[in-house]
Amino acid sequence: MSDAPVLLAARGLAKVYRSGGVSCEAVRGIDLEVAAGEFVAIMGPSGSGKSTLLHVLGGLEPATRGEIWLRGRRVDGLSTAAWAVLRRKHIGFVFQFFNLLSTMTVADNVELPALLAGASPRQARKRREELLADLGIAAKADAAPSRLSGGEQQRVALARALANEPSLLLADEPTGNLDSTNARDVLRLLARAHASGQTILLVTHDAKIAGLADRVVCLFDGMIADDAPVVPGPRKVSAIQDFLELRG
Amino acid sequence: MRGTLRWARADLRAHRGQSLVTVAVVGGVVAALVLATMLLQGALNPWQQLFARTNGADTLVYLSAGTPPGRLATLPGVRAAAPAYDAAPATLVQGAERSPVEVRGMPFGRPALSAPLLVAGGWLRAGQPDEVVVEASFAAAAGVGVGSRLLVDGVDGTSVGMRVTGIADTADQGFYPRWTPGLIWAPRALLARVEPAASETSEVVGLRLADPSAAGASQVSQEVFDSYNGAGEGSPVERIVTSQQVRDSMASYDRLLGLLLALFGVIALVAAPCAIANVVTGRILMGRHDIAMLKAIGFTPGQVVRMLLAEQTLLGMAGTGLGLAAALIAASPEVVRPPDGIAVTFAPLPGTWTALIAAGTVIFVAAATAIPAWRARLVSPVAAVQPSPPRGHLSRIARLSLMVRLPAALVLGARDALTRRLPAAMTVVGVAIPMAMITIALVCWCTIGAFTSGPGRIGLASGLSVYPGGLTDAQTTALIATDPQVKGCYPGSEFDTLLPGDNGTFVARALGDSAQPYPFEPVAGRMFRSPYEAVAGQGFLDLMHVKVGSWIDPTVDGVPVILHIVGRTLEPDDNGDVLDFGLDALAAAGASSSPMFYRVVLRPGVPPAAARSRLLALSGRRLDVRAVADPAARLGVMRLVIGVAVVILALIALANLLTATDIGLKDHVHEAGILKAMGLTPRQVMATLVVAVTIVTAAGVVVGVAAGLAIAPRLINAQGQASGIGWGIAAGLSPAGVAALLAAALAVAVAAAAFLARRATTARDPLATSPSPATTLTPT
Repeated sequence: MSDAPVLLAARGLAKVYRSGGVSCEAVRGIDLEVAAGEFVAIMGPSGSGKSTLLHVLGGLEPATRGEIWLRGRRVDGLSTAAWAVLRRKHIGFVFQFFNLLSTMTVADNVELPALLAGASPRQARKRREELLADLGIAAKADAAPSRLSGGEQQRVALARALANEPSLLLADEPTGNLDSTNARDVLRLLARAHASGQTILLVTHDAKIAGLADRVVCLFDGMIADDAPVVPGPRKVSAIQDFLELRG
Repeated sequence: MRGTLRWARADLRAHRGQSLVTVAVVGGVVAALVLATMLLQGALNPWQQLFARTNGADTLVYLSAGTPPGRLATLPGVRAAAPAYDAAPATLVQGAERSPVEVRGMPFGRPALSAPLLVAGGWLRAGQPDEVVVEASFAAAAGVGVGSRLLVDGVDGTSVGMRVTGIADTADQGFYPRWTPGLIWAPRALLARVEPAASETSEVVGLRLADPSAAGASQVSQEVFDSYNGAGEGSPVERIVTSQQVRDSMASYDRLLGLLLALFGVIALVAAPCAIANVVTGRILMGRHDIAMLKAIGFTPGQVVRMLLAEQTLLGMAGTGLGLAAALIAASPEVVRPPDGIAVTFAPLPGTWTALIAAGTVIFVAAATAIPAWRARLVSPVAAVQPSPPRGHLSRIARLSLMVRLPAALVLGARDALTRRLPAAMTVVGVAIPMAMITIALVCWCTIGAFTSGPGRIGLASGLSVYPGGLTDAQTTALIATDPQVKGCYPGSEFDTLLPGDNGTFVARALGDSAQPYPFEPVAGRMFRSPYEAVAGQGFLDLMHVKVGSWIDPTVDGVPVILHIVGRTLEPDDNGDVLDFGLDALAAAGASSSPMFYRVVLRPGVPPAAARSRLLALSGRRLDVRAVADPAARLGVMRLVIGVAVVILALIALANLLTATDIGLKDHVHEAGILKAMGLTPRQVMATLVVAVTIVTAAGVVVGVAAGLAIAPRLINAQGQASGIGWGIAAGLSPAGVAALLAAALAVAVAAAAFLARRATTARDPLATSPSPATTLTPT
């Protein structure tokens, strides 16, 4: 845990799906705190409730029980509309399958959240140009999303998520649908965003990706099985030096 | 707001085709509604348009000769007065035929108020002193055309020769010949030759009123009488004709036509909401994936609802504007020229009506959007449309069918059609309603067809009415009998008869005699067979509160006649207030049984105009021969209207079908990939989709046609009953016609389904790329 102030907190969070009289508890009593600027990876096997937890924390689905605090404010009781307003200002989403608006160009997809949050068209365009240039897809601004490769689409999705400089970036298996090269690029961009102070909560089932985070939370059957900071692995050269130092 | 606009713009750009369908459907519906109302107005009251086009006078004042007309313009309530024209009564002589006419002396320039509207030839010219212009309905009745030579007798017997240079319509005249004499516009010099005594002429002054309503006109009439010292004997005001009176006399001109057109209006009113609702709902249902996504990035539910409402309402407004423009262009006199004389025309629609139709449509589009928009509000940002898996109700049947080697495409398609309930219901309803309307329109078509092929059904068996004129009855019948084109000749007399209690009149008509009755075709009861029996129209039965089987004793021609009503006929004239019996009934009652006219029934295929000329020639123009209004001619226009209605309805049905099918197929795109992966050939996949669509469409078509066949005769008969024509006017659709209708509808449906299915199956294989957005947000 870092000493930075807590940005997101969940207390006793639970999500129960009910269908035809059968209820299924996807998330059961999760307590979690994410500090500002922290990069947290949520890992777990398929069906462990990772995505559900992310959706509930982002207000895409209402929690059945428990509390959610964002920037010191309790938000679990918010209405759908209030959640929407909160999302457009403070939460960015990146999904596994990009979910770009197929009817809009790349530029429009990225500008839309900014416009929605009240930015002027000029500000929105400026921000979009910066983001696309930053992510190396400035040339694709006027293309339709369907014309882009998977990696490019995910970069656009990332640009869209970062358009309003959100306090919290929620990423749901952002590399799950990409080849290794594109996955590496997207991870590099995430790492860069994190380095510039972006708080990230990322869901993955890939330990290597989770290794990039500051902290890994493991879910199993909707409960936290493990929550530990990532310790940088021992480096070979320094290990020998250490040994020599020890000896010397 | 900016974000909303940006999305709406992108959405409209991305769905140009669907947006165009919405605009086109709304436009088509508005155009149909406006045109139907204009036609209805025009058919019920062709006079109204004439009044507008000729700048008709609100009131015509006839003053005796020498009365100064100047003070009329200064009366309260009068906005303007036209210059006074002299007019004199005279008689048009055509062999034995003598028709009363009014000759009106006119300047060579066209008047501004009550300007006659030329339908043929030209206006009066200086230097052509014997040229005249004849009013169109009178010209048609008298068989006069441009270039005809006329002989007009003045009151004192002076004969004046004239040459017709033009035929014109006017709104000043009531229904000819019942209400007014014929009208001839002549140069002033020519009028002076017809009526040399200036004191015998009248002055006609047209007034434009500040308040042209009945109340305003009656107030001005009173002012006119007052200002010329009372309306009694010796008053210089001979008579005052208001536009209301003229309009009322024209209103019952063509009841049957009005009746069928009203039905068309009803069709448009029912089909319109259905079409709009279907298209709008479909459009929103198809956009649900994007709506879920928009919510995920921060659109509030309220914003989504407002955005959809605004977008669809804008499309609705565009469609409404387009429809109004199309209707106005289609109905403008430059595009649609009324045929010679008064025929069915588009009456100008009052601005309030147009505004009402436009506003109503836009409100309806908004209302139709509200329900699906509300559903869109509830779309969860996570559970974007998840095509609900078929529930497997038919799996046993499907397994069995596949076991007996039914084609896989057929089995899978059928299973698909029956398990996806919402799209199926949308398609069935969306197709069934327009199909029911089309069926009703076609039954109307057949009803008209039955009238034109057998006019006897509506009492119009005879093509000509012959008045003996200068010949005796015996000479007349002998002359008619020599004509090989004549099938039968029936002597007749007609009397306007007072109802008991003097609270109205009906037409008592003696035609033929009970031994050789006129070929009426009663729809209830039977034909009269004795001098004490009669048949009647529905209007008469309602007026007298009697039924077929009742005995009545009306006073006809001053003599009480006791009659037993044995049948009911379909009677399109005089609101059905007609009682028919044989001439021998009059003889039996002791009244004069000498006929006033003869109704001549022509052999099939003989045109009445040709037969008329022939009889006139045979008699050396001593007979007065008039063609009975030809139902085929006036109902032909109605067929055109029905044709247009059927085309519009078919387009609406097709739009509904395409929308519903497109929604269905969108759900299928992923599944089509799976089917292909399982080993179905692209053709089999397409066949599956086509079968699925065809089954649902066929259900809609069958339900619609069955409902139409059940409703149409009742609807038409109910309209007939209400108008006095009577129950039983509807004709049925032949089984071959029904079969053709079903086959045509299904062929179009299969073609449309094949087109869409082809597009769906040749789309990029979704399995090879990314899953549909539907699956992207599901929990891990």
